[in-house]
Amino acid sequence: MMATKRILMVDDDADIREATQLCLEITGQWEVLMAGNGPEGLAIAQLEQPNVILLDMMLPGMDGMTILKKLRENPDTQKIPIVILTAKAQASEKRSFDQLKVAAVITKPYDPLTISDQIASALPA
Amino acid sequence: MAQRFPTSVRNLEDLLHRMTNRIRQSLELPEILEATADEMRVFLKTDRVKIYQFHPDGSGEVVAEAINQQRLPSLLGQRFPAADIPMQARELFLKLRQRSIVNVATQEIGISPLLTSSEKESLLSDQFTALSFRSVDPCHVEYLTAMGVRASLVVPILYRHRLWGLLVAHHSLPKRFGNKELEIVQLIADQVTVAISHANLLQLTRLQGKHESIINQTVSYLYSSAKDPLKRALWHVTNALQCVGGRLYLFNPDSNTKGRLIITGKQPAGKQILEQHSAWRVWLRQESSNQVMANLWAISDIKQAQLLPIISEALTRADIRSVLVAKLVHQNQFLGYLSLFRQSVDVETVWAGQLDDSDSRQQRPRQSFEAWHEMKKEQSREWLPREVGLAQDLVDRFSSVIYQTQLYQKVQRLNADLEQRVLQRTAELNKINQTLTQEISERERTLEALHVARDSLKRLSHQNELILNAAGEGIYGIDPKGKIVFSNPAAASLLGYKKEELTGCFMHDLLRHTNAHGRAYRWRQSPIFKTLRHGQTHHVTGDLFQKRDGAQFPVEYVSTSIQEQGKIIGAVIVFQDITERQIVDAMKDEFIAVVSHELRTPLTSIRAALGLLAQNRVEIPAQQQRRMIEIASSNTNRLVRLVSDILDVERLKLGKTVLNKQPCDLSVLLAQAVDEMRAMAEKYGVNLEVSPLRIQLYADPDKIIQTIGNLLSNAIKFSPRNSTVDISAQQIKRSGFAQIETLLSEAGKQAVAEGLKAHPSLLLIAITDAGQGIPADKLEAIFDQFEQLNTSDGEHQGGTGLGLAICRSIVRRHGGEIWAQSQIGKGSTFFFTLPISVEIKNVLNDQAKATKETL
Repeated sequence: MMATKRILMVDDDADIREATQLCLEITGQWEVLMAGNGPEGLAIAQLEQPNVILLDMMLPGMDGMTILKKLRENPDTQKIPIVILTAKAQASEKRSFDQLKVAAVITKPYDPLTISDQIASALPA
Repeated sequence: MAQRFPTSVRNLEDLLHRMTNRIRQSLELPEILEATADEMRVFLKTDRVKIYQFHPDGSGEVVAEAINQQRLPSLLGQRFPAADIPMQARELFLKLRQRSIVNVATQEIGISPLLTSSEKESLLSDQFTALSFRSVDPCHVEYLTAMGVRASLVVPILYRHRLWGLLVAHHSLPKRFGNKELEIVQLIADQVTVAISHANLLQLTRLQGKHESIINQTVSYLYSSAKDPLKRALWHVTNALQCVGGRLYLFNPDSNTKGRLIITGKQPAGKQILEQHSAWRVWLRQESSNQVMANLWAISDIKQAQLLPIISEALTRADIRSVLVAKLVHQNQFLGYLSLFRQSVDVETVWAGQLDDSDSRQQRPRQSFEAWHEMKKEQSREWLPREVGLAQDLVDRFSSVIYQTQLYQKVQRLNADLEQRVLQRTAELNKINQTLTQEISERERTLEALHVARDSLKRLSHQNELILNAAGEGIYGIDPKGKIVFSNPAAASLLGYKKEELTGCFMHDLLRHTNAHGRAYRWRQSPIFKTLRHGQTHHVTGDLFQKRDGAQFPVEYVSTSIQEQGKIIGAVIVFQDITERQIVDAMKDEFIAVVSHELRTPLTSIRAALGLLAQNRVEIPAQQQRRMIEIASSNTNRLVRLVSDILDVERLKLGKTVLNKQPCDLSVLLAQAVDEMRAMAEKYGVNLEVSPLRIQLYADPDKIIQTIGNLLSNAIKFSPRNSTVDISAQQIKRSGFAQIETLLSEAGKQAVAEGLKAHPSLLLIAITDAGQGIPADKLEAIFDQFEQLNTSDGEHQGGTGLGLAICRSIVRRHGGEIWAQSQIGKGSTFFFTLPISVEIKNVLNDQAKATKETL
């Protein structure tokens, strides 16, 4: 049995956090860490060193792009793979994510039964 | 007819009288001569009296005779050769009027010249000159003897100084004629002369008459309307002049060979028309000896004439002996020839005794005077002067008629020609006229069409100009080199130039034509150049044009080539500034992106929660199941609110929401709004305090309640627990503006001032919270769609982000304004105004009155 993987979820919507946590725990046996805003997320990432960060882009205050940038700037967090989970589903928005060199981009509303596998498959073995 | 007269010489005067009477009684010369011979024989008591007439050739003929009982033979009608009375004798008769009496027995002759050869005049008065006798020539004696004559008396008859003839008395017995008898006979001869004169005159008159009758007849033929008058006239002339044939050659001035020939009777042999032959003219020129008149040739005997062989042969072969040719000339115009032909004739002459040609007549007188009939065959007949004269007269008539006919025909031809030409000319003129008329009407039509075209062109160009002037789009035309030919005011103003400044400019450089990505085109790569070069129409959106001040702006343009007869002569570019549109488009895109995002957010929770509940791979604890149901439910509510808010905003923005305005009481509306929010306020632990104001307004009550509700909802959401949200309303009149002015922010003052300009009084509603406040730079932005304030914990407040946008739309559509004032840390106040217009007031007053009355 492989070691329990830890995932950090940064999202301002409490309902989404709660539903996603349950989803990841049940379908993928993830240990889910959660943050409601950017600064909190950065702090947890630094401290907990999760295996992957599930990052929302549209956040009040520090937005997703800034969080991503800060994660990459920090040597302690720069290696952590990032999966973007966003409600921005416009074609032009999707194109802009491609340049961010993230592990995966998952669009809201995601499929709760496959999201875990999606994330897992995006990670290096 | 013989009449007996007394023979006595006494009756001499009677005799003379009688004779004179007889001569005068008759005009017929033979009759007179007969009578003369008779009377003279009776008077002279001789055996024979004869009247001998000389012919021009010197021969003679007995033309009248009286014989006593056959004592001497009759010589009447007999010819005597010229030699019988020699030339000398004839000359004596003529010149000396010598009379002679011969006595054969005595062989003496008595001669009594009436004139002397030297003095003719002197002797005339003395008529009775004595006879002088001498011996007679033996020849004469022999001659007389042979005739049986013993005594003779001869008196010459002179007429017009010519020897006309002789009055001769013969007696078979010797007889002596005395002076007396001689004088009597002389008197008689004188009377005969008178008679001859009369007779000649008569004959002349007769001939003249005949002549004239022939002419008249001919003329009547010539002018007759019967067929071929010339031929009939010719026939008549031929007969009248006792010819066997005649011909009329009518010269054709146009062609010598086309002359017309009219013939009658006998004609020269051969088919050739002699008159057309050059020999004919040569002959006539040469034939001067027979040219009896200026244009008339009379050849009595062609055998004697020097004819050219071709002519003489033609005539001879036809037995023609005499020819009369007249050249028809009238008014100096040559018309042709009239020719008359005679054949030879046989002439019988009765001679007094046969002539012995072998004997010399001089040597020996004839011994016999027995009548001898001489037949001369194939004699030519001479053209007599009168005949020639007649011919000339006739020819003149012919000439005249032919000339007139030709003239008439010429005139006719000319007339016909003229008529023809007139007709032709008329036809031509008609044609020309027709053509001209056609041309004129065509021209008129063309002109009319031109006018119409010009008018419509004018109208069109005017319309074009109007269209160009009115068009919001910039329009300009360029020539093949890209230089501007025309532009409209919009083009000029969009580009920041004056219209005149643009003309002639190279537009590509002037506009610094740049593509949507900001790269300037090279001229030959630009779509406009391609339009000019290839004629394609290009519709481009997003390219940039440069204004005069250097600012670039996005444009949408259509470049269309202008072609004339397949050749591109320029292009028209219609463009518009799409800056606004791009902004709107961007906003739309943004809106869609935001809406999409906002819708996806609650859906994410719902899907995840429901997905987990629905799966049966893993058992979920009941408590967590319950949480998932709650999450799904609340997010569904959120989704419903969101959708209805979005629809509200859109409807309000597009004006699709009809305000259901009606008079209402503000206090009622406030109470209702507060009631709806009371539950929420309790949940957040916030007090609501309303300062009610009873004031009537004219508005859509539901929308006003929605607005107040939204504002209350926000206020509650952002208020700390146990704080109070204040709701107040007051009426502001223009006069009362100053009192509240200090309470308002700059935006608020401006909004109220604007409202009071339009309306006499306003209702001002304020909702105040004690929240953390709104940064100054967000005070306006919060009214935009999906704009949400950060909360201190950064958590999402569950609002749709559309509430304030909806409020602003509702208030503005009521003619009011909404704004926010805030002090960070102390709280915020949201104000909105609603106008109270005079009309509304009146309506309200009326209503209030009505309410009072019912009460």
